[in-house]
Amino acid sequence: MAEVLAVNRLSAGYRGRTVVCGIDLSLRRGDILGLLGANGSGKSTLIRAITGQIPLLGGSVMIGGVDLAAAPERAKAGFGLAIEPHELPAPLSGRQYIELVASIRGCAPNDLPGTDLLERLGLGRWIERPIAEYSLGTRAKAAIVAALLGQPPLLIFDETLNGLDPVAAWEVKRVIAALGASGRHAVVVSTHVVEAVPALCNRAMLMADGSLGRSWDEAQLAEAGRAPGAFEQSVMHALRGRQAA
Amino acid sequence: MRHDGLVLILLRRELVAGLRAMRRRDLAWIGLGGGGLLAYAIADIVIALHAAAPKLRHDQLLWMLGLPITFGALGCLAGNAMSRLCLSRAFAPFLKALPLAAAERRRMAAAGAFALGLPLTLTIATSVAVACAVIGKPLPAAWSLGAAILFALAFGTAALWRLRRPHLLIDEAASEAAPVGRPWLRRLDRARPRWLSSWAWKLPGGLLRPSWKLAAAGLLLAVAAILGAWASLAGRTAGPAAVAGLAGGILVFMLSLRCQPLGSPVLRTAPIGFSRVWLRLVRLPFQLSLAFFLLPAGAALAAEPSAWAVPVASGLWLLVLNGAYAVFGAYFLDAPFVAMLSFAGALAYASYETLEYGRTVLIGLAALVFFLWHRTRQRYRNG
Repeated sequence: MAEVLAVNRLSAGYRGRTVVCGIDLSLRRGDILGLLGANGSGKSTLIRAITGQIPLLGGSVMIGGVDLAAAPERAKAGFGLAIEPHELPAPLSGRQYIELVASIRGCAPNDLPGTDLLERLGLGRWIERPIAEYSLGTRAKAAIVAALLGQPPLLIFDETLNGLDPVAAWEVKRVIAALGASGRHAVVVSTHVVEAVPALCNRAMLMADGSLGRSWDEAQLAEAGRAPGAFEQSVMHALRGRQAA
Repeated sequence: MRHDGLVLILLRRELVAGLRAMRRRDLAWIGLGGGGLLAYAIADIVIALHAAAPKLRHDQLLWMLGLPITFGALGCLAGNAMSRLCLSRAFAPFLKALPLAAAERRRMAAAGAFALGLPLTLTIATSVAVACAVIGKPLPAAWSLGAAILFALAFGTAALWRLRRPHLLIDEAASEAAPVGRPWLRRLDRARPRWLSSWAWKLPGGLLRPSWKLAAAGLLLAVAAILGAWASLAGRTAGPAAVAGLAGGILVFMLSLRCQPLGSPVLRTAPIGFSRVWLRLVRLPFQLSLAFFLLPAGAALAAEPSAWAVPVASGLWLLVLNGAYAVFGAYFLDAPFVAMLSFAGALAYASYETLEYGRTVLIGLAALVFFLWHRTRQRYRNG
C-alpha cells in the first residue's frame, strides 16, 4: 500500500479541550512533509494524536491501513517517532535504550539505515554512558537513532532536529533524504527552521490555530525554493496574515 | 528579600496545577465519592468506638504504650516525608542557578515542613479529643494535648534530622546518574522489552549500586524469614512460617515494584500493549517475592507436613495480593509510596468490613482492582 498515513477530519486536545481540529492529511511513500507553525499552533498536539499519545476527539488515523484506535499496537509498528529528548529514560545508557526499542520492535539493534550511523552522528563515544549525562543534542541523536530502528515505513521527528550540532543535523538530513528517495518511507519533520524545508522536504504544511493554515506541494515547494528566501517569505506572509485575521 | 515562603508557594502551585489538570468528572468523583466514603468511615469508627468504649476506657496498655508509640511513629514518618518533600523543592534543579545559599534553602524547607506539620498536628489533636469524648474517657483535652505534643515532638525531631542532612537527598539524586555498581541485574533484565527493570528501578546503566539501605532491608527481611521458619520448626506448626512468608513476600513485592515506565512515550508510542509491559514490569519483583516466600514456606512444610494446605494457601494469597498490588502500583505510576498506602488502606478497610458484612466485601475490592486496571490501561493507550 502506497498510503502510509491517512488522517481524516482529526480533532484532538487535552482534557476535552480541542487544540487541533478538522485535519486531513495523507502521506505516501516517498513523501517528506515539513510541518511548520508558530509555538502553540498545534504541531506537537497533531503529532501526539497521530502517534496515539492523546485520545482523538474526532476523526481517524490510519497508519499503513491500520486504524490507530482499533489496533494501536499494530498501527504503532508502522511508525518510528523520535521522542522529545527530556522524555528519554535517563537511567539507561544510550545502547540500552536502543536495545530496549529494538527488542520491542522485534529487530536487531543495528537495523539502521546506512552504515555507522552512530559514529556519523557523533553518538559512538556516548553510547555506553547513562542518558542522564547527555546534553540536549546528544539526547536528540539517541531519540533519532531509536526512531530509525527497524526502518519503519513512517518516520516522525517532532522538532528533534532543532537541537543538533551542524554535522549531526547534516547527517540526519542526508538520512531523511535517502529514506524519502528510496520510495519505501514517508517522513514527517516538524521544525521551526523554515529555510531547511525546501531543501529537505517535498511537501510542507503550515499549522495555525489548530488547523491547516496553508500547504505546499512538491512543485510549489520547488518553485519557492528556487529564489533564496522566497519560501520563508511566503511562510511569514501566511503567518502574519493569520495573525492579522 | 526573604524566601521563606517559596517552598510553600511552589507546593501550592503544584497542587493547584494538579487539580486543574484533572477532568471535572474525576474531581467530582474524588470530592463526592471520597467525601462520602470518608463520612461513612468516620461514622463507622464512631460506632465501633462507642461499642468498645468500656474496654477501651480501661485499657492501660493502649493508653500508656500503644497510643504513644503510634503517635511517635506517625510523627517520625510524617516529619521525614514532609521535610523530604520540602527539601526536594528547595533544592529543585530550576532553583540551582539562583543566588540562594544552602542554609537559606534549608530554612525555606524548614518553614515549609513546619507549616505542613501544623495542620497534621491539629488533626491528630482533634481526632484524639473526639475519640476520647465518644468513649467517655476523662480529661479528653489533656489526652488530646498529650497526643499532639508527642506527634509534634516526633515530627520535629525527624524533620530536623532530615533538614540538617540535605546532602542525603542530593547524593541520592546524583547517584541515579552515576554509573557505579555491579551488573547483577543484567542477566535477569534481558527479556523483551530489554532493560525495563533497570529503567524502572532507576539503575544508572543497569548497574546495581550496593548501599546501606539495600543491605539493611535485605538483612531485616532475612531475619524475618529465619525467625518465622524457626518459630514454625520449634513449635512444630506451619502457621508462623506461612504468615511470615506471606507478609514478607508481599512486602518484598511492594518495595521492589516500580511502574513509572508505563507513563513514558517511549513505550506508549511503541508497538507493545499495556498488558505485556505491565507483566514484564511485575516479573522481577514477583520473582524476588517468590524467592523470599520459599524459605518460610519450606520451613512450614517441614514443621508440619500434614498441614501442607497452610503454606499452599499462603502462596495463593501471596499471588492474589501481589496481583492486586501490581494494579495499584501501575495506577499510581511514579508514586509508589502513595500506591503502598492506598493498597494497605484498601486492604485494611476491606478486612474490617469483612468482619461486619462477610466475604462479599472482597467482591468490592476485586471490582476496585479491576476498575484501576482498566483506567491504567486506558491511560496507557490514550493518555
